[in-house]
Amino acid sequence: MLIVDQLRRDDARLRVVAVVVLVGIAILTAGLWRLQVMAAGRYTRSEEAQSVRLVRVPAVRGKILDRNGFALAENRPSYDVNLYLEELRPSFVHEYTNRVLREARAQRESGKFTLAERLQLQEQARLNVYSNTIMTVSSGLGVPLSVSQDGFLRHYRQALALPLPIVDNLDSSQMALFFERCRGVPGIDLEVQAVRSYPFGRLAGHVLGHLQRSDEADNDPDLLIFRYRLKDYQGVAGVESKFDEALRGRAGVKALRVNSQGYRHEEWYLHPTELGRDVQLTIDVPIQLASERALSRIAGSATRGAVVVMDVRNGDLLALVSAPAFDPNSFLGRMSPEEFQELNDGKLRPQMNRAVSGAYAPGSIFKVIVGLAALEAGVMDPLESHEYLGYWPMGGRSPPIKDTAPAGFYDFKRAFKRSSNAYFIDHGIKVGRERIVAVAQQFGLGEKNGYPLGTEVRGFLPDAENLERLRARGDPWTEGDTALLSIGQGAVAVTPLQMAVMTAAVANGGKVLEPRLVLGIGGQGDEKPQSFAPQIRSEVGIQARHLQRVREAMLADVEEDEGTGREAALPGMRVCGKTGTAEVKQGRVLVDKITWFVAFAPFESPRYAVVVVVESGGSGGRTCAPVARQIFQAIQQREGAGRPPAEDQGTAAPRSASKPLPTPAGLYAGLAAGREVSP
Amino acid sequence: MKGAEFSLRPARVAWALLGAAFLLMAVGLCFVHSSTLGDTSTTMKQVIWFGVGLTAAVLLCFVDYHVLARWAWVGYWGSIVLLLAVMVFGVSRNGARRWIDLGPLQLQPSEFAKLAVLFALAQFLSRPIEELRLTNVVFKSMAIVLLPFMLILKEPDLGSSLVLLPMMLAMMFVAGVPASILAKIMGVGAVIGGLLVADVLFAPENWRLIKLKDYQRHRLMVYFGKDFVPANATPEQKAYYRELQRHKGWNVQQALISVGSGGLAGKGWRQGTQNTLGYLPRLGAHNDFIFSVIAEESGFIGSITVVGLYTVILFSGLMIAGQARDRLGRLIAVGVISLWFAHVFINVGMNIGLVPVTGIPLPLLSYGGSAAVCALLALGILQNVHLYRRSY
Repeated sequence: MLIVDQLRRDDARLRVVAVVVLVGIAILTAGLWRLQVMAAGRYTRSEEAQSVRLVRVPAVRGKILDRNGFALAENRPSYDVNLYLEELRPSFVHEYTNRVLREARAQRESGKFTLAERLQLQEQARLNVYSNTIMTVSSGLGVPLSVSQDGFLRHYRQALALPLPIVDNLDSSQMALFFERCRGVPGIDLEVQAVRSYPFGRLAGHVLGHLQRSDEADNDPDLLIFRYRLKDYQGVAGVESKFDEALRGRAGVKALRVNSQGYRHEEWYLHPTELGRDVQLTIDVPIQLASERALSRIAGSATRGAVVVMDVRNGDLLALVSAPAFDPNSFLGRMSPEEFQELNDGKLRPQMNRAVSGAYAPGSIFKVIVGLAALEAGVMDPLESHEYLGYWPMGGRSPPIKDTAPAGFYDFKRAFKRSSNAYFIDHGIKVGRERIVAVAQQFGLGEKNGYPLGTEVRGFLPDAENLERLRARGDPWTEGDTALLSIGQGAVAVTPLQMAVMTAAVANGGKVLEPRLVLGIGGQGDEKPQSFAPQIRSEVGIQARHLQRVREAMLADVEEDEGTGREAALPGMRVCGKTGTAEVKQGRVLVDKITWFVAFAPFESPRYAVVVVVESGGSGGRTCAPVARQIFQAIQQREGAGRPPAEDQGTAAPRSASKPLPTPAGLYAGLAAGREVSP
Repeated sequence: MKGAEFSLRPARVAWALLGAAFLLMAVGLCFVHSSTLGDTSTTMKQVIWFGVGLTAAVLLCFVDYHVLARWAWVGYWGSIVLLLAVMVFGVSRNGARRWIDLGPLQLQPSEFAKLAVLFALAQFLSRPIEELRLTNVVFKSMAIVLLPFMLILKEPDLGSSLVLLPMMLAMMFVAGVPASILAKIMGVGAVIGGLLVADVLFAPENWRLIKLKDYQRHRLMVYFGKDFVPANATPEQKAYYRELQRHKGWNVQQALISVGSGGLAGKGWRQGTQNTLGYLPRLGAHNDFIFSVIAEESGFIGSITVVGLYTVILFSGLMIAGQARDRLGRLIAVGVISLWFAHVFINVGMNIGLVPVTGIPLPLLSYGGSAAVCALLALGILQNVHLYRRSY
């Protein structure tokens, strides 16, 4: 060895010392190599594990727009006051050394404290600083704030690196006070956060659905790497749920570097958040608004019912109303017990979307189906008159079926517009259950219509399968059952949406449409815009002249003297309709009435189908027809102002209105005043 | 130093030694600055200490080491008095009474005692080689070291006292004390050390013969990976001892993470997180644990450079010992080398988990006035031996 050899050869002992030194150096070098080269990765990971905390930051949700670009769900800024504990450290130290420790010393002669006692005193000092800060903010903002010592200690132990929320959602006057009085307070800062907001409140609440605090991460092992997760929401109903993945965007990942005590040192984004995609609906806010207002005039907030407005040419749902409704905003914060009770009221059932989940006896509106079945079967000459008694006598010991139409002569049109039970029972029995059910099936009854948000029910038809089930229950089908079916009572149930699809098919010449609720989903980042084309599910096999016959009868029901739907008549727009009043009986006692009005307009070139159903109404003609009239009136006003509901552009990207949008309040006011609001 | 043979006058300055020392001082200042989070006043103090140390070292070189050696016993007993004074007047930090307060500065006598013992021992051992076979001479030379050893141990400053032992062994060995005697001494030492460790690790509390300080016991337990929890502990005691173990193992663990996470090239000067974020002990980062900061911020390349610079100094010293004029010079040089080597090995070894934690400084890198001055004085003495290696 060169260096050792330079030592005198005879100096063996010095050479031994040199070798010892050399071995020592070699050991150190090997140790360093092992740590810094071979195990560097492992120690880098430990270093990160102890000093880096990952925070999941939810993205700002996409908007839900109506077909015109009005935002039904958007994000508003919430101004929150937060406490940044790392900035309070000097105050903690100052409080501890100058106050808490000094006072404790004054009480103790020895002036000595054990480590545990010191830690206790330090905690006390932090609590003092925290309480003082809260009191300062509280008096500055003029808001009573409670000092939660436990909350503070928990935050200190578990989430020290994150800011501690103090007050949420400052209003503008509080903001002014904050900037005037609280800006210099150590550790206090204002943060802006995007908060979901539904500017129209209850409007279309059932379509929009609502959000819920998301706790999914608790079961998702992929999310366990996050030490902290910021408040995130998840859609649990309606569009918010069905299109949750598109709307919620992609959460970002923030890294916090913390010091040995856990205070935040610095932070940076590993992945930025990716904005959620916008979803554009077919809903037309003015029509939706008019529909809700018209329906709610019946019994205010106690109204139970639904409205469906559909474009008969393409299946677009222009309005979908279920009453009573809920305000999706109320699910965001803490709900009061009253609100909770109201939401879960057993009779009102505000969370149920009656337009798609309500299966009702159709009553006389089912005569549309029975009439078409009789015409198709050739068992009815529509022009031939028959004399009826004003009731339908049932054989045996059964009581006769009442009729609202008086005794007299009836041809098809008169029977339809007077809603004669006797006429339709007579012909219904001639057609028979099987052929009535077959026509009903062609119109999509007894099946789900394909409402994109689910929650749809099938309703009920006495088809072969169900008949078998009834027979098995010891309830065989009789002619009396066919008589009841002919007037839409007994073993038949339909949803308002099914009735809208049926009415649209009558109006458009037999096309059974798939209800379209979503026009498209906007692009964002790598995601391409996506659009949903109108779909025709099937064509009914009914002769055109028979459909025409029914359309004329529906026109007569509204326009002619004896028509039950006269209250739907609207100057300037030829409305065609059919009323229905189904009786709900328990045994032989009448317990409730379901009142209906199905309509379309204009007669010459049908475009809008409107279905109104009201639970516990008076009669279809008196209760529901006026609702339909008000809706058609709103449509007429929109068309009159040269602003029919926006046509589907065929482009997928939801158009955010470039012009300033009217505020919800302005829209309400404009509609109340009966004039168009210019967007 | 082949060039020396051809020049008319032999080289008077050991340039390699000097160069390495200056580089180490520069590195030391950089990382004292970094490890105090850019505290300029601490760095400036260290600059002043280096200035004082260099001046003292230069002045030392004007006096032949033979003349200095005449004062060896004065220095020795002077430092013994200072060590005793520490026991009476000393100020303590963190439970150890190691400093004498002189108003603006605080003196750490144990640092100076190391040099005084070195000189005294060199003087004592440079007697005719035959005498070194005599038992009473061997015992006397051991006593010269063991007296200050006990005093420093009592402070307590285990690290500073321990570095005296390898120095003693190396000097006795080079002086010519028979290997068989040295082997016996080392054997006895090993047995005592082994008993001590066994006592700490395995003996029940009331059986312990040697009363170590709690923190010293804990450091040994951490080093040997001994579970802190006693056999029949209640759950609360268990939790307490677990926490204690975590707490006591913290510094070693954090030093390892610092060094390891530095990787090959390091995180960059003043970019280390372990120190900035307080994971490394705040009080130790700029002295006992400064190597961790260097290793984290400059990586394997940096730490191996530092080790390389020490190697240059140690082998320059060995050459000086080899070329020394007489046994006195030789023993002084060997004493300085073994002292430096002990410091470097124990300190770096502790930072990388090879050696239990003991508080001793890394020469010229750690912050500290007495240590810096003494390290430079030691180099001055080496230079002195080099300078006066010829008798003209």
